[in-house]
Amino acid sequence: MSETQTALDAQFDLALSRSPRIEPLLGLVLGVLGGLLESAVLKSSLLPGGLLGAGFGLVFGLFFARRATSPGTGLIWSLGSSFLLWIFTTGSFFHFAALAERSATMLQDAQARFPELVGDLLCIGMPVGVGLGIRGGFRASRPNNKFAWGRAIVAGGFAGTLGGFIFGRWVSSGDYFPLLAGFGEFSSRSMTILLHFAIALSIGVTFGLLFQRDVRGYGSCMGWGLGFGIFWWFFGPLTILRLASGMPLDWSAEQGSAVFGSLVGHILYGLILGVAYATVDKIWVRLFIQSDPLNREIEGPGLHILRSLGWGALAGLIGGLVSMPVMIATGVLPKVAGIDSTLVGFRAVFLHLSVSAAIGMTYGLLFRDETSTPGDAISWGWLFGLIWWYLGPMTLLPLLLTGVCDWSTDAASALLPSLFGHLIYGAVTALVFFLFDRGYTRSLLLDPRTSRRELRRIRPVGTPAPALWLFALSLGVLLPILLG
Amino acid sequence: MNRSFRRASIGILSGAVASTSLIATLHYGVWSLILGVAIGAAYSAALRPTRRACADSLMAGGSLGVPLWGLISVIAVPLLSGQMPEWSAEQMRQHFPALVGWVVYGAFLGIIHQVLQDSAEHFWGPEAAPKASAVSVTKRIVILGGGFAGMRTAECLEEKFRGDFSVSIALVNETNALLFTPMLAEVAGSSLEPSHISTPLRSTLRRTEFIRGVVAEVDLEKRLVILRHDAGVRGASRPREVPYDHLIFALGSTSNYLGMTNIEKFAFNFKSLLDAIRIRNHVIEMFERADLEADPALQSSLLTFVIAGGGFAGVELAGALNDFAHGILADYPKLHPNQLNIVLVHSRDRILPELSESLARYAQEKMQSRGVSFRLNTRIADAQPGVVLLSDGEIHTETLVWTAGTAPNPLLKSLPLEKDKRGALLVDSTLALPGRLGLWAIGDCAAVTDAATGRPCPPTAQFALREAEVLASNIHAQLEGRSAREFHFDSLGALCVVGHQTACAELSVPFARSGFLHFSGLFAWLLWRGIYLAKLPGLERKIRVLMDWTIELFFPRDIVQTIALK
Repeated sequence: MSETQTALDAQFDLALSRSPRIEPLLGLVLGVLGGLLESAVLKSSLLPGGLLGAGFGLVFGLFFARRATSPGTGLIWSLGSSFLLWIFTTGSFFHFAALAERSATMLQDAQARFPELVGDLLCIGMPVGVGLGIRGGFRASRPNNKFAWGRAIVAGGFAGTLGGFIFGRWVSSGDYFPLLAGFGEFSSRSMTILLHFAIALSIGVTFGLLFQRDVRGYGSCMGWGLGFGIFWWFFGPLTILRLASGMPLDWSAEQGSAVFGSLVGHILYGLILGVAYATVDKIWVRLFIQSDPLNREIEGPGLHILRSLGWGALAGLIGGLVSMPVMIATGVLPKVAGIDSTLVGFRAVFLHLSVSAAIGMTYGLLFRDETSTPGDAISWGWLFGLIWWYLGPMTLLPLLLTGVCDWSTDAASALLPSLFGHLIYGAVTALVFFLFDRGYTRSLLLDPRTSRRELRRIRPVGTPAPALWLFALSLGVLLPILLG
Repeated sequence: MNRSFRRASIGILSGAVASTSLIATLHYGVWSLILGVAIGAAYSAALRPTRRACADSLMAGGSLGVPLWGLISVIAVPLLSGQMPEWSAEQMRQHFPALVGWVVYGAFLGIIHQVLQDSAEHFWGPEAAPKASAVSVTKRIVILGGGFAGMRTAECLEEKFRGDFSVSIALVNETNALLFTPMLAEVAGSSLEPSHISTPLRSTLRRTEFIRGVVAEVDLEKRLVILRHDAGVRGASRPREVPYDHLIFALGSTSNYLGMTNIEKFAFNFKSLLDAIRIRNHVIEMFERADLEADPALQSSLLTFVIAGGGFAGVELAGALNDFAHGILADYPKLHPNQLNIVLVHSRDRILPELSESLARYAQEKMQSRGVSFRLNTRIADAQPGVVLLSDGEIHTETLVWTAGTAPNPLLKSLPLEKDKRGALLVDSTLALPGRLGLWAIGDCAAVTDAATGRPCPPTAQFALREAEVLASNIHAQLEGRSAREFHFDSLGALCVVGHQTACAELSVPFARSGFLHFSGLFAWLLWRGIYLAKLPGLERKIRVLMDWTIELFFPRDIVQTIALK
């Protein structure tokens, strides 16, 4: 473990030793342009907008540029940063603090500032992050981690199209196309289908191009898919599609609320895309890389998967037990059991625990190689819980019980209480799974062959996972509250 | 500086500074500060310090704010105030200021914690490494033998001493794999691939040092195991010595030819994987030679296979060879089934003395109906090329397989230790050698007596595995100063395959009249396969064996000769 840590430190020191010179300037320029663009779109004063963009670009160039080693990492770091920008600047935090005792006023104020959130993300964050990421891509040399254009485009495009097909087939009964949800009728059905698949393909290809180096397993692919889905909701339905339809830009909370169903669609699509991409990528890696005897690990993948499933089931069971009081209190449990009653019987508890164990198995399967510390585990667990809130009570449960899924803001508001149950479940499941895994790993500590696996599990400093956690988790929770 | 103290101090300080945002938005007064400090301490304890990762910590801390908001502001605080959690959509919107406050708190906490952590490293150096890595070995446990007893002992010791790296475990064995002997007959019968029933000891044992070698002697005074010196091997300049504090004899047994040198010379042994491969290849060789032979008498001699011993090994081998030989006749159209003769020679009046008489009779009748002939109450007296001499006649054959007797490993003869008449080491009820501190013995090479019944334990894998578990527990107890456990185990029963999809089963059942349930046929055979497949170590091996069995359902057995016989 210490050798691993030393290797990572050395790697990080090397990155730090290259002091960026152009990046702050580039960030400043892109930030100013972005700030001006945001001001123009929001029809506000240009000077404060330009200054805000300049400040963000400069700070990002100084402190985050080293981490923006590709357009994808740059984008994720900038999305997290621009969300913090929205919280801190435009007087939000201090304004909110002053209004803290008048919550209703403050909420209205936050809703009024929703366009600034969209502007910060798209006009300032995205160009600065992607711009510095492109610059970082030229600067950073990674001889052992070459970017495979073909693999990114083919795997991403395939995953995007497949995701669009599965998702379209899954919920499109009655000509419902989730990526276009909230946009009303298009002139023809073929036009609608074409647009649906064009968006799906675009998202898939850009996913592969941007994140090939960052995603490495199903869990991180789903996390990145979730974050990318949220980003695309801002970029697609709220921006590009309106412009493409010849409508004026409208970033208001009301418009956001109107296309809220599409947000859920984008999130679920992002998850499917992530899983599909990971599957294609994993097949590639399994067939051509891991099957090479030179890369052989001490334990075959089959045994590893089975053990993960077992630990995941146990962890999920414990997560289910811990979150059960919340599920009972919020009335989710009777719905799980398919009985519309406030009584919670043995059947509901049994079903809840069975579902918890099954979902825990998916955690074990998807996230088994993502965590190396309790903190990491809990963070991925929160995200896992959030994913299952969108996937479970928002989508699968109504689909199974009634055959229709309701992605309106009203439905989301009604389900908000159970969100915490899911977050608690995710965190507890992830932590318990981590403890199982750590106990097993510790028993192998004397075996030097395990150090390689450990090295793979430790996400090196500088990868954008923390920014993804902030962006996806904050907006995944905030948007249903803000737009409801 | 103490690692925990340092982490706690940094966490508390950063939590206290970051809690200003909570004070501004939550209006909980001093509780905001206390909350901030407590979360800061927990945050610091849960994270592995990473140098100069301010941006990462800022984001990770900020993301922590969202769930903290839900858990504390929305759920915990109302509950502590005696109210229901405020988690309806409207109530949560009321808590919006707190959400902003928590995200800002998290972001501040992350970055301040990182700055303090880096400063502490700058002034006081990196955190002290955990003490566990500096532990030196003080006790050495050496296991001689990698059969069921030896390997299970190693597994149990690994489990017992999981967190204690002051104890080293080493296992010495002649081969680098555990042979799953219950399936050995199927290898001889060409049902299973040889390597599929062998589990590599190096892959299975993670903490145990595996040493492949033959034990030349054990120096009980100096407490050293001395391995046989192989002068032909480069780098082996002198015999290797393995020191021990605890030595476990789990050497198993070898074939006992009862002093008949001709039989030792001409008969096939049936103990190792190589023996099974040799028998399979020899059977095929006999068929090839018989196919070329014009003399019917010689053909008949070539196609006669004699198995000495009517215990489990002999019966299962006879059944497997009978199926194999009849199965491959289809590939030799010149040979007639009547020429084929599988003979089982046994010195008692019935086979399978380990099972009940009714089951033994069933097995014999079933095997006879499938073509196996029996010579009961008959002893093998001698063997010459082409003929096996019996106590009451002779059989013309080129094949004799010996399963009629076993003896403990010959190494034990050279040791000045107390043994029984069979030559097995005498152990007390805790499996220790009486009066010999740190010496233990289990399995076929030990004369173990059940502490509860006082009866000697049979030398079977079932008992060896349980003995191994008790032995590991007793060594662990001794090193911890606790008293040792006595060995007691009630047999679970026995299973024996007698031919194609047919087996005999005698299972221990608590409320049965005789204490055992007897049955036979297809169900017993399925049970045999299910139980032994489950007991076969390693998932990969299980899958391989399962595939072999499935392939066998659809394709004939392989008759490719894999090794040269001469």
